[in-house]
Amino acid sequence: MARSWGYPHVGESDGALARRAAAGDIAAFEALVDRHYPGCLRYALRMLGERADAEEVVQETFVRAYRALPRYQERDRFTGWLYRILTNRCRSRGARAQRRLRRLIDYRAGLDDPVERPRTPRPDLSNRVTRALLRLPADQREAFLLKYVEELSYDEMADITGAGVSALKMRVKRARDRLQELLKDLHGEEESLD
Amino acid sequence: MERKNRWIERIAAELRRPVPVDPDAKRRLMAEVRRVHESRRTGLWGWLVRPRPVAVTPLAVLGGAVVLAAVIFGLAVRPGAGPVTPAAEGARPVQFVFVAEAASRVALVGDFNDWDKTVTPLRRRGPGDVWSVVVRLAPGPYRYAFVVDGQRWVADASAPRASSDDFGLPSSLILVEESRT
Repeated sequence: MARSWGYPHVGESDGALARRAAAGDIAAFEALVDRHYPGCLRYALRMLGERADAEEVVQETFVRAYRALPRYQERDRFTGWLYRILTNRCRSRGARAQRRLRRLIDYRAGLDDPVERPRTPRPDLSNRVTRALLRLPADQREAFLLKYVEELSYDEMADITGAGVSALKMRVKRARDRLQELLKDLHGEEESLD
Repeated sequence: MERKNRWIERIAAELRRPVPVDPDAKRRLMAEVRRVHESRRTGLWGWLVRPRPVAVTPLAVLGGAVVLAAVIFGLAVRPGAGPVTPAAEGARPVQFVFVAEAASRVALVGDFNDWDKTVTPLRRRGPGDVWSVVVRLAPGPYRYAFVVDGQRWVADASAPRASSDDFGLPSSLILVEESRT
């Protein structure tokens, strides 16, 4: 949950802030940015792997959200509405992220030379998890993040992504299986995270 | 199963860690939002919505109401082009047509409306299965699809299929050309 950054709208719901922002209250929109920027940045960074891309995508997301505020309806959950825009922005950047991933894989392939291995420091868990996540296909990465990091229900995920619940469950399962496999391979040993 | 759940939770916990926020990035974001806000307030839209006193005769008001009613009636009975969404600068009208058997609602989604299925509904043309909408689009390429009954995504069978969709959802491509007039 984001910090309030001291704004006077701390107790107001997202829907109330969105309504005020749509009526021209720029401070209300800034309060929404304060609440949701950190979460959006985290999601975009996990999806794209590059901070500069993630910050640009999040900026695009909020600017588009501001333009689209007149279309926001309070019966929609604001986070879901915002994340629909965010996931679409991330998808549009997906091709660039894939090219970066290929460079990362090439770098990793270089490190697999057994002569170099003793000099390579063991990446910490955060780096290992991040690299493994970026090796997933984009649809599986998206589904895994929405399910386990954003902690959304499958119905909420379906509304955001446009995919069916069954397809999303399959993507999440494949992502889990692939991550388990990748995290074993990174160090060429039986992976035990207990 | 419990060990696997603990493993997933550990992975998720790592990914849920907050990432540092650059205050400059947030400032740039709000500067852009304020720029949009100001352009709305002071631009054409702002001019149109700003209240100002206007003197008219009762006869002029009555005449205007008759003209408005005639325009609305004429648009309603015109064979189904459907609703027109707001224009972007330099935009051209583009009609999207979709045949959907036994559908209760059809929406157009695409790059131009953030793939939001609530924004651009199609209108049924007559008693059959033909739906359509006219959207004003600036010249350029767009990906789009139809969403039937809020759930089923369908590509346009009459248009080229979009490639490289990483998310398994069908979509089509359209290229809006610049007007030659």
